[in-house]
Amino acid sequence: MNVNAPVAEVQTAVKPMISIRGLSKTYTGGVRALNDISMDVPPGEFLVILGPSGAGKSTLLRCINRLVDPSAGQVFHNGTEITGHRRDLRAIRRQFGMVFQQFNLVKRLSVLTNVLAGRLAYRSMWRSLFYSFPEADKRIAIECLARVNMEQKAFQRADTLSGGEQQRVAIARALAQQPMVILADEPVASLDPKIARQVLGYLREAAQELGITVLCNLHQVDYAREFAERVVGMSRGSVVFDGLTSQLTEDILHRIYYREPGEAEKEEA
Amino acid sequence: MSSTTFEAAVSAALSEESRRRGKRLGKALIWATAAIAVLWFTGAQIGMSPLALVKGIPFMADFFSRMFPPDLDHLPLLGDATLETVQIAVWGTLIAILLSIPLALLGAKNTTPHPIVFHVTRLFLNALRAINELVFALIFVSAVGLGPFAGVLAIALHATGMLAKFCAEEVEGVDRGPIEAMQATGANRLQVILFGIVPQVIPAFISYSIYRFDVSIRAATILGLVGAGGLGFSLIKTMKLFKYHETATCILVIFIIVLISDWVCAKVRARII
Repeated sequence: MNVNAPVAEVQTAVKPMISIRGLSKTYTGGVRALNDISMDVPPGEFLVILGPSGAGKSTLLRCINRLVDPSAGQVFHNGTEITGHRRDLRAIRRQFGMVFQQFNLVKRLSVLTNVLAGRLAYRSMWRSLFYSFPEADKRIAIECLARVNMEQKAFQRADTLSGGEQQRVAIARALAQQPMVILADEPVASLDPKIARQVLGYLREAAQELGITVLCNLHQVDYAREFAERVVGMSRGSVVFDGLTSQLTEDILHRIYYREPGEAEKEEA
Repeated sequence: MSSTTFEAAVSAALSEESRRRGKRLGKALIWATAAIAVLWFTGAQIGMSPLALVKGIPFMADFFSRMFPPDLDHLPLLGDATLETVQIAVWGTLIAILLSIPLALLGAKNTTPHPIVFHVTRLFLNALRAINELVFALIFVSAVGLGPFAGVLAIALHATGMLAKFCAEEVEGVDRGPIEAMQATGANRLQVILFGIVPQVIPAFISYSIYRFDVSIRAATILGLVGAGGLGFSLIKTMKLFKYHETATCILVIFIIVLISDWVCAKVRARII
């Protein structure tokens, strides 16, 4: 299992895994999605970013691996600035596994090939041209599948799986990158509550064992309470709360979701 | 999962992977061998010979040297024929578009009123595609006489065969969700087609129509070979009179028309889709 050994084992000095300073994003057309965001995420943390749809959570995650280019501000990874580096963009992205709301598996490829895609950034273009991967990569991919209990279905086509299974495969793909950080963008928003808890459980367990830092966007308060160590609350592009899960009070939820206290429970139900 | 069962599961999957890869490789090898054998045999049968091509180079050079330079004095005489070529393509494609909409709906499994209608429509469309534009043109020249109208009909029929088939396949591939939603509102069959299916296939249909116009332009340039109007007539006439410099002018004009139509089609496509 050493192949998947934690990359970020050295946690002596608590240098943040990710530091965000003054991050802003205005989309063309004038929509201001992020407004001067700053935060630190220590290595190995399971951080939940909580907020309603449209709060800017997705934009924030995408500014970290630069699927979206921020308009202003900086992101530091292990103390190194990673905004503005055009040239090493792919090397930077390799460090961040991503999990999407709609899973984004390549439906016509097998489960195993989908997970092997997590190894692409490590391999040459010539080899990829033949859809061929070294044995070591296959071992890594299958180990990642086994972590989410999906190795039995490795040879099925991805579109034969249920939603929960697809998301587990997507997590395995992110793990196969051997990333230092996983960015999970509403990973359970299209799953039913039972499956959602199971998927979040797999994500947290794998991240803990491998020492991977997780930034997970959620809009459901109860999942945040159950899974997060720390919660960052976002509303309308700004951070309105940053603290331990136990400190999430009705008053704070009201600020995140800008609604009356007590109403939260009604909507969750 | 304990670490021993974990390891066992991983190595089981790994060996399964290599077994499957071996099987796939074996299959690929068998098929590749068979394909190469067949291709080699047919290549020999139809006299594919790189040597003959190489030996023929001097003759081709001789032919081209007789065509060069194009006789630009011939250019003004081609104006009418050029216009006619474009007109044939426009009318032919337009008729094909109009005919192919109902035929596509009749010939798609999920919109056809009856399986028999489906099979008859597909058979008819296959027949239209099986017959080349030139053959159609010959038929219509004898029916409506020499001239561009025979060309229009020839292109219209052949293009209908292609457009309707492509569009029918597009209709069969639409997303089921909107159809269910329209059915759930209590809409009748035609309403479901109009509101649930047609909007989904319109982009592809436009794209195919534009492509088909492009093909029609090229087809229209040779219809004159059998007397169905357009530039092809000038092409064959100058060739038969051994006026190769004028033939070159015709080819040049055809090339320019194709270039322009390609450019226009790309612009229209970018604007619409």
